[in-house]
Amino acid sequence: MILRADHVAGAAFVIFGVTVIALSGDLPTGQLSMPGSGFLPKIVSVLTIMFGAALMLRARESAPFAELGWSDGAHALAVTGITATGILLYTVLGFIATLILMIMALLIIIERRNPFRAAAYAAGVVLATYAAFSFILKTPLPGGIFGP
Amino acid sequence: MDGTLVSLLHGFAVALQPANLWYAFLGCLVGTLVGVLPGIGPLSGISILLPVTFGLNATQAVIMLAGIYYGSQYGGSTTSILMRIPGEASSVMTCIDGNAMARRGRAGAALCIAAAGSFIAGTFGVVMLTLIAPPLATIALKFGPPEYTALLVLGLIFLAYMSSTSLVRTLLMACLGLTFGMIGIDNMTGHFRYSFGIAELGDGIGIVPVAVGLFGLGEILATPSHKVAGEVIAPKFRELLPNREEWRQSAMPIARGSVLGFIIGIIPGSAHVISSFLSYALEKKVSKNPEEFGKGAVAGVAGPESANNSASTGAFVPMLALGIPTGPITAVLIGALMIHGVPPGPQLVTDHPSVFWGFIASMYVGNLMLLALNLPLVSVFVTVLRIPYAYLYPMIIMFCIIGVYEVSHSIVDVWIMLIMGVLGYLLRKFQFDPAPLVLGLVIAPVFEQSLRQSLIMSNGNYFIFLGRPISLGLVILSAGLLALSAYAFLMKRKDWRTKLAEAEAGES
Repeated sequence: MILRADHVAGAAFVIFGVTVIALSGDLPTGQLSMPGSGFLPKIVSVLTIMFGAALMLRARESAPFAELGWSDGAHALAVTGITATGILLYTVLGFIATLILMIMALLIIIERRNPFRAAAYAAGVVLATYAAFSFILKTPLPGGIFGP
Repeated sequence: MDGTLVSLLHGFAVALQPANLWYAFLGCLVGTLVGVLPGIGPLSGISILLPVTFGLNATQAVIMLAGIYYGSQYGGSTTSILMRIPGEASSVMTCIDGNAMARRGRAGAALCIAAAGSFIAGTFGVVMLTLIAPPLATIALKFGPPEYTALLVLGLIFLAYMSSTSLVRTLLMACLGLTFGMIGIDNMTGHFRYSFGIAELGDGIGIVPVAVGLFGLGEILATPSHKVAGEVIAPKFRELLPNREEWRQSAMPIARGSVLGFIIGIIPGSAHVISSFLSYALEKKVSKNPEEFGKGAVAGVAGPESANNSASTGAFVPMLALGIPTGPITAVLIGALMIHGVPPGPQLVTDHPSVFWGFIASMYVGNLMLLALNLPLVSVFVTVLRIPYAYLYPMIIMFCIIGVYEVSHSIVDVWIMLIMGVLGYLLRKFQFDPAPLVLGLVIAPVFEQSLRQSLIMSNGNYFIFLGRPISLGLVILSAGLLALSAYAFLMKRKDWRTKLAEAEAGES
């Protein structure tokens, strides 16, 4: 049997539904006349499992899993990694330092741009945005260890 | 009718205040840019800029955010015509004949027809909204929990039926959204659900991190810069006006697109996308020269562009009259109203007339502004389109982070956005449309509350949904749609939804 995209997607939804039901163990289902907080989550999870199974059963209509194009995977992974690092540092270093570093990293590591040009662009964009939010929109951005 | 007119005049008094005019202009300008730039759709644009409206009052906020929405429908055509890249999803059909016209040296005429069609259709949509929304809100005041439950189920099934992906896929997305929407404190019992000890999750998952992640970041993850390359055709200013024959050819398609778009807009689903596809199909069908479609037919630009603008206005009818979103964009707008302390729903007309009528009046003004903005500034938009994508997307990620963080100053929300970005990337890989997920997330609290209230009211009897005329009608409609979907599936019919999916895939 060829493993197809919908086999994988359907299985993921079935596992997700089962996990939600498992996590709902301590939530009271209640009765029909007085439904509890676990009532709808369990119904929705059962539906998720049913639709996931239906997807797996009809998987023949989908492309083979091995043929899914992952040529953009490296780009996605790199952007995710750099953004995650930026989020980690956001409240620590503050908006200006973090975002300049993050944009520089995206331009230099992923886009292979000239480091000086990347630094100038990052600094220009971030400082202009910071000024716009602080002075025009009156919405202060996190200062971090370098700011107020 | 007189009451409507008086209220509308009151709305104009609100909309024409200098501050409100400024925010309408700002929304239209930003919306046009959002539409012009590939990779940022109206949903991510509105979500990212939502925190900017926190300092404004509710009327100004909704005027600006709605301006971004309908402005993006105008702007999307520019990129489609000049680059054959849809600036946003509803401009897919404009790519075909708009770009063909541009290659024949009629780029200016195509842009002008798109702008004129958008203006006429947008204005038609607002007139219809003015006439329909207030009486519909009066009827909706009679709705109780069973009617709301039935209406929300119908909304989800409608969305599934209208979706270009399969029914099972759409319902799976809606279930996922409903599950996410149930995270946090249960309003009726106070139980914490799936919060894993994270205090921020007690309030639930917000729509902004989910929408920005799925649609903004998800799109960036799936789009390496080397894949975004395009030649921009720059029109000359003196070529902007269409000739007499082109005006004649565009008149009826604009009229048909306006009516069709508005009707589709009221129905749940990605109305503006569907309406442009249906309008294109309709124009091709009624044309005396269908062979010209694909080679620069004027009707292929005028019809879809009018339809998507009219649809974006039509989508406001259920939002304003019933407080129910027909898609993710209206869902975010409802979220914006709630953040500003204005509960959307039938009471909006009576309890907040300045917001309701000010918003409607601002759309008349906004359509005029867009017409004035789009043509003279076309050279500016051409310049914007020449910014390399490699420099553009880091800036978009920055705005995503700012937008999400500023909603509640919570870094947990920014992490949720990143997770949703990865989820959005994976969903695209497996051919899932994330829009029903966002809709499920938004309606989850209302749906759960009205379902549980209905069951408590009836002492656990499900027949409460069949014993009341309005909810019975809605249940019958839902069953009918499910039967239609099942019929199409069993007969293996290739209907308009399959063709829409093929057209979207072909242009992306």
